[in-house]
Amino acid sequence: MTPFEFSRPESLAQAISMLDPEDPNIRPVGGGTAVIQMMKAGVLRPTRLVFLDRVEAHHSEIRLDANGQLHVGGLTRLSALEHSAAVQQGWPVLARALVSLSNVRVRHVATLGGSLAHGDPHMDLPPILSALGAHAVVSGPKGDRMVLVEDLYVGYYDTILARNELIAKVIIPPQGTRLAAYSKVTTRSHHDWPALGLAVVLGQNPDGRLGAVSLVMGAATDRPTRLVSAEKLLQGSLAEDHLLREAGALAAAELDIVGDSHGSADYKKQLLRTYLGRTVKQALGTAHQGVTK
Amino acid sequence: MNNAQAPKHAGGQVGRSVSRLESYDKVTGQADYTHNLVLPRMLYGKIFRSTVAHARILGIDGSQASKLPGVHSVVTGQDVLRVIPDPYYGPAFHDQPVLALHKVHYVGEPVAVVLSTDPHIAEEACHLIVVDYEELPAVFDERQACTSQVIVHEKLRPAGTFPDLKHLAGRTNTNIALDFHLKRGDVDKAFAEADHVFEHTFRTQQVMHTPLEPMVSIAEPGHGELTIHTASQSPSFVRIEIARLLGWPENRVRVRTGTLGGGFGAKLYIKLEALVTALALLSHRPVKISLTMEEQFFTITKHASTFRMKTAVRKDGTITGRECEVWWNGGAAADIGPRVTQKSGFTAPGPYDIDNIRIASYAVYTNLPPAGAFRGFGIPQLVWAYESQSDIIARALKMDPVAFRMHNLLKEGRPQATGTLMRDAALHLVLERTASRMNWEKPMERATSAAHLRRGRGIGLGFKAVVAPTTSVAMINLSGDGSCIVYSSTVEMGQGSDTAMALMAGEVLGIQAEKIKVVKPDTDVTPYDMATLGSRSTFHMGHAVRLAAEDVLLKLQVMATELGESDCSAANAANLLKKKYGMQAGNVIGVGNYIPSYTPPNYETGQSENITPNWMIGACGVEVEVDIETGHVKILRMENVVDCGTAINPQIVETQLSGAAIMQLGISMFEEMEFDDMGQLRNASFAEYKIPGMQDIPVVMGNEIVQARQTNGPFGAKGVGESATFGVASAIAEAIEDAVGVRLTTMPMKPETVYRAIAKANGQALANP
Repeated sequence: MTPFEFSRPESLAQAISMLDPEDPNIRPVGGGTAVIQMMKAGVLRPTRLVFLDRVEAHHSEIRLDANGQLHVGGLTRLSALEHSAAVQQGWPVLARALVSLSNVRVRHVATLGGSLAHGDPHMDLPPILSALGAHAVVSGPKGDRMVLVEDLYVGYYDTILARNELIAKVIIPPQGTRLAAYSKVTTRSHHDWPALGLAVVLGQNPDGRLGAVSLVMGAATDRPTRLVSAEKLLQGSLAEDHLLREAGALAAAELDIVGDSHGSADYKKQLLRTYLGRTVKQALGTAHQGVTK
Repeated sequence: MNNAQAPKHAGGQVGRSVSRLESYDKVTGQADYTHNLVLPRMLYGKIFRSTVAHARILGIDGSQASKLPGVHSVVTGQDVLRVIPDPYYGPAFHDQPVLALHKVHYVGEPVAVVLSTDPHIAEEACHLIVVDYEELPAVFDERQACTSQVIVHEKLRPAGTFPDLKHLAGRTNTNIALDFHLKRGDVDKAFAEADHVFEHTFRTQQVMHTPLEPMVSIAEPGHGELTIHTASQSPSFVRIEIARLLGWPENRVRVRTGTLGGGFGAKLYIKLEALVTALALLSHRPVKISLTMEEQFFTITKHASTFRMKTAVRKDGTITGRECEVWWNGGAAADIGPRVTQKSGFTAPGPYDIDNIRIASYAVYTNLPPAGAFRGFGIPQLVWAYESQSDIIARALKMDPVAFRMHNLLKEGRPQATGTLMRDAALHLVLERTASRMNWEKPMERATSAAHLRRGRGIGLGFKAVVAPTTSVAMINLSGDGSCIVYSSTVEMGQGSDTAMALMAGEVLGIQAEKIKVVKPDTDVTPYDMATLGSRSTFHMGHAVRLAAEDVLLKLQVMATELGESDCSAANAANLLKKKYGMQAGNVIGVGNYIPSYTPPNYETGQSENITPNWMIGACGVEVEVDIETGHVKILRMENVVDCGTAINPQIVETQLSGAAIMQLGISMFEEMEFDDMGQLRNASFAEYKIPGMQDIPVVMGNEIVQARQTNGPFGAKGVGESATFGVASAIAEAIEDAVGVRLTTMPMKPETVYRAIAKANGQALANP
């Protein structure tokens, strides 16, 4: 490790000014759980780290707005999100998933903005927030822009963020009456990175048929991927077993799933075929269920 | 079965559950780990490692690295020759150079070291070293290596440490470091006359010990002497081997250990000690090398293995003959592999009474990271095969697997494969208790919460001979006030040995264990011990400590007689010493040394009347739930039962059982070092090499120590650190077959492997959606 500059700006604007759109060796640091790993592995050799722990306090606030949307500051620790009463009451799918996300020590330091910006396709929050239809407020030198979390990702560890842009906030629409579930499928230890992550958010029509269906998969493709054909197939249906099987098969056949040490591509397709239906059923089963830990 | 014998002592210590003596220091952050030691003028070394599996070194250019500000020096194998003219070490073969010379033999082999006062600068400078290699073809598979034209080491150089390896001197053009053979009866005749013959091949994978404290060593040079501070399981061996390398007398080399953060066999013999010695002598400064978790994967591992087993069985289920061929993938250094090959190899047919046996066991060199001792010392690889086949045979004969085993188990007094008669081996009792805890006589509850789940159960049983012959020496010192210190070179690495030694000393002396001090190993202070390995400490060092304590009592008796006193107990030692010396002064020092009797096996037949002083027994029962759509296996229940004779400290024995079983659970289910076809390790980190976490532990887990006594053991005890590893893997494989009807013969049993087997059995190709 060679010496590098370690800056602790007092504002988000100052932090942005310290970043350089052209220099990959200048990096912002939220909790540092990914950056430090990358430095240790020798894949990142920074010349400057911009540590965001001293920026304005409201960047780590969680609040509900008048429309019932949840505004989560980019520097909110994952554990704060996990323990937030608003999240536990209004977004049980998030609360449930956060408990199984990484480990308690990581959750206590990792930040929401940092974890979304990292772009590792194995992470759990990108598919869940994408399925919920969350937006990210991206701050840069020219001001803010709003993008869907789903649109942040363009490839493997690759996002639309410029090197001098930061995720200042995430706005999550109310889960409301929508039913949701997330399956984290690991194939080695329980606490491993997932071989497949699958987020399901379901609207329900008064007649019991599915309304809007949102299915987003992580870990098996180079970025979080929406299962568009499966969504169409299930929308308006009664989610019958045969349809769920068909939707799983359709998704598995369509996608360019990549194998890794968690499982071969063929096996991950089998996991997707299996877990698509299971996760939809799990979501439907949460209708009268609170958060379980 | 086990001869109950009234204990000679009544100190009220042995058999009492005592929390570890070092617990307070550990939880308050005061334990003396070697990692925390910093010495004045100390340099940090960072190892530059080979990036190729097999190559001739044409040149090493450290000039750019040397120029980096803050770098003290760049050291290569050629530099090492200046202080150690013949720099090859190893317990069985002198096959590991301190730093690579002429050739590299595996990816990760140490090639050079950068020294600096700043470890980060040393690491940075490593990136600037350039090595010119002429790459050679490499061999990775243990069976291919036996016949390959690729030769890892041109000439074999037995270390001479073990008399039974001397015949290997001077062998060339082979990758077989050692071949062990055992012959008993007429195997060919048994196969010819058998009602059934079963033949299978079982595989295990290469894994790593993952001690949470990675290896660390510091060498501190003095005037004509050297002190080594090291996280080692074998300080006495380190002293002998460093003295040999330097050509110095043993008393010029001092080796100290602190508390170890786990060992599991990884920190045995020499790991970093010869390297820091050479660096300290070259730089005339203390030198410390601390490995990262990642680097441990390139230092020592567990043998991958292939085991071909052929068995002759009569219609009634009697095993009449067995042929075992085992290939141990030792990687590029033999380390202690030849001893694994022989000392565990002779138990390859399992704990069964078989008249006709043939064993061939091969320690094989390949171009992979070295393999050595690993909790179980080869036994888990063997049990995986012989117990898997027990289940396969029982199924074929439509026999209950427990009944099949009971029918064939070695009874007390019957000859084991080596001809040594079984004594104090509670095989039947351990199996019976395991079956009982599993409610084996009743059908299993197979109802599940979902249609895609299937339940099954299995039991596995294994045994191990304690490694022989080995020596332990202990001293016990009563101070002028009668307080007691135990001097032992047994290394406390989390297994509770300090507490066990205090309990055993206290038992003889009538002193409460908590009031006894156990000195950390320091070869200038604590006497010789072969090593802390193979579950040998309780038995060997326990005897030495017992004898030392009895020696103290004898000396007190002599003193009391001289002084005309009648009370010669340890409790009266302070009074006796005061009377003798006229003030609080003096010591009473007792010495104990122990080596069990042993008869080496015949080279041709492997037969011996006395192959080991005791047998350690462990069994495991599991109930699993298998997801037929994904292959996920959930362990619902695990029962571990052992015969360890008397449990010296029952509370710690129980944690040894659960710890060993969970470690083997990870290896059985998912741990695996993944190499590509160039011999590059792809998952050398905890991000990608997973060990079990809390959520992987079975929902229900029970542990039991059977009522048994090891007649020749200290206070009826024998070792226990490995026994609960034995039966785990095969029990899971059987439970999977019981649940879903597929048999796995290769570890680990990952969900994908299970699912593929299910799909194949159903005639489905996995690729088709």
